[in-house]
Amino acid sequence: MVFSVFRFGDYLSEYFVCTGCALLCDDIEVDVQENRINTVNAACRKGVARMKGCTDPLVCTVDGKEEGIDKAVQKAASILRDAKNPLIFGHGNSSSEAQKLSIDLAKMTGAYIDDTSSFCQGPLVEAILQEKLKTCTLDDVRHRADVIIFWGADPSNSHPRHLSRYSYYPRGKERQRGWEEDRTLISIDIRRSDTALLCKDERFYRIPISGDAEFMEALVSSLSGKVPKTSFDYEKKRILELSNVLRKAKFGVICAGLGLVYSLEQLDPLFKLMDKLNELSDFHLIPMVGQYNMRGFNHNLFEETGYINRLKFDPQNDEPLHGPEYSIVETLYNKKVDAALIIGSDPLSSLPYSIAQNLKDIPLITIDPCQTLTASRSTVTIPCALGGVEADGTAVRMDGAEVTLKKIIKTDRLTDHEILKMIMEAI
Amino acid sequence: MGFGDFLTLPEIKLRVVTCRNVFQNTAQETSRFGEDYERLSAVIMLDPKDITRLSIKDGETVALRNGHGKVVVKAQRSGQEDAHSGIAYMLNSPWSNALVPVPDTGKGVPKYKDFEVTVQGSKGEKVTGIKQLF
Ligand code: SF4
Repeated sequence: MVFSVFRFGDYLSEYFVCTGCALLCDDIEVDVQENRINTVNAACRKGVARMKGCTDPLVCTVDGKEEGIDKAVQKAASILRDAKNPLIFGHGNSSSEAQKLSIDLAKMTGAYIDDTSSFCQGPLVEAILQEKLKTCTLDDVRHRADVIIFWGADPSNSHPRHLSRYSYYPRGKERQRGWEEDRTLISIDIRRSDTALLCKDERFYRIPISGDAEFMEALVSSLSGKVPKTSFDYEKKRILELSNVLRKAKFGVICAGLGLVYSLEQLDPLFKLMDKLNELSDFHLIPMVGQYNMRGFNHNLFEETGYINRLKFDPQNDEPLHGPEYSIVETLYNKKVDAALIIGSDPLSSLPYSIAQNLKDIPLITIDPCQTLTASRSTVTIPCALGGVEADGTAVRMDGAEVTLKKIIKTDRLTDHEILKMIMEAI
Repeated sequence: MGFGDFLTLPEIKLRVVTCRNVFQNTAQETSRFGEDYERLSAVIMLDPKDITRLSIKDGETVALRNGHGKVVVKAQRSGQEDAHSGIAYMLNSPWSNALVPVPDTGKGVPKYKDFEVTVQGSKGEKVTGIKQLF
């Protein structure tokens, strides 16, 4: 059976969404045979691997022994009930429906709640939701952007279809001549990444490690008609040339990667640059969010509490506690949590071992479609359906657009939100 | 190589920056415990000058150490990069995370993209397996 979407006249069938990254490409065609995905068309190699599923699916276990879902749910409920300071973490690879239940579960149990944005794109998403940074959609980029800057970002590796679907190669409504004539691609990075290679020497700006803030300040000077200076003696002529390109942009976008986020101590230099660019031109910023629904978690928590991450709920108090001290990194560093539920994430893989190892000493519950390092250390593991392949749901793309996920194949596994619901009922 | 030879290999200090790679990401989607994921993750990409300073050959194993941990990975000459002697690249993975520091600034963000390691050739030693990391 081939599911596909062809818009010929009135004929309309469906495309599917890839959840391999926060681009959430919604033009995926699949060939399903005997309830297995046989071929995936249009996705990148990472997306194909995501949609075909992992080779080591998670098994439902309690204390390392295979068990039924009811027993696993009961054990998970008792762990969370008995904990004084539980942590609920993950959510990057969870549906918005599950994320909302996670927030309710955190309220119910007085838990810390956090997600991966806490140690990656969080500050940018927060600034966008607080309207401190001007943003746009990826569709705006496709149709209108003429100057595209990848700053500390390498989409050729992190979001392989960014350039072909949205930012560089496509012909857009106002960019009919595509990349050859209508778009200028710029890379600002500490290394010549695969994306930087496309920019050639002319539009690749190699800066030193942690040099981003100074480079931003130099650009602001140059855009203000002053001589740009940096402590690392960046060639002034090149900064002046770059600021000329930016000044003349009709619709500019900064696609901000982790290189930029980790380099800035605080966001002020970026705010100043964006303000200056918008005095002279029309500039937007989109965070290069990695996991498919990290931004969804930020939106859902923001709607509920006014914060995007790093919270602790107090059952006796309506107002949640918020701040870096409630982040997963600090709570693990200071050994503040006594149990954790991990959903749609693998902190033992993604966090520095020096703090992740503190998870090994407490009861852990993992909900995930696949075997992960965290799952291998968990007291309870509960497999869930893979979002967008085995489960419906909604998610928020890196630019804030909501995307509907449609299930492709049937599974006996419950969805992430069904599992959370069962745990909440058991508590 | 005997223990004595191993001791004589030079040690150098390098700054490490982590980055992403689509092939490694794809391997991760298939299995975190698979051979491909280990082969593509347990790698440090070095400038040719640093390979010479270490007296090793491209593809040999090296031991990486700092105050946070120790791992053995393969040394690889970085391909398209401009000269970057003194700076090495690792892919974001449990192998790099064994070495990533968490500063005590209370800000909740590890130093994924700038940390120091001591590197020494360890020819013949096996790459640290994912299960040995934890
Ligand atoms: S770019 Fe991202 S969303 Fe698109 S197909 Fe690749 S992994 Fe999937």
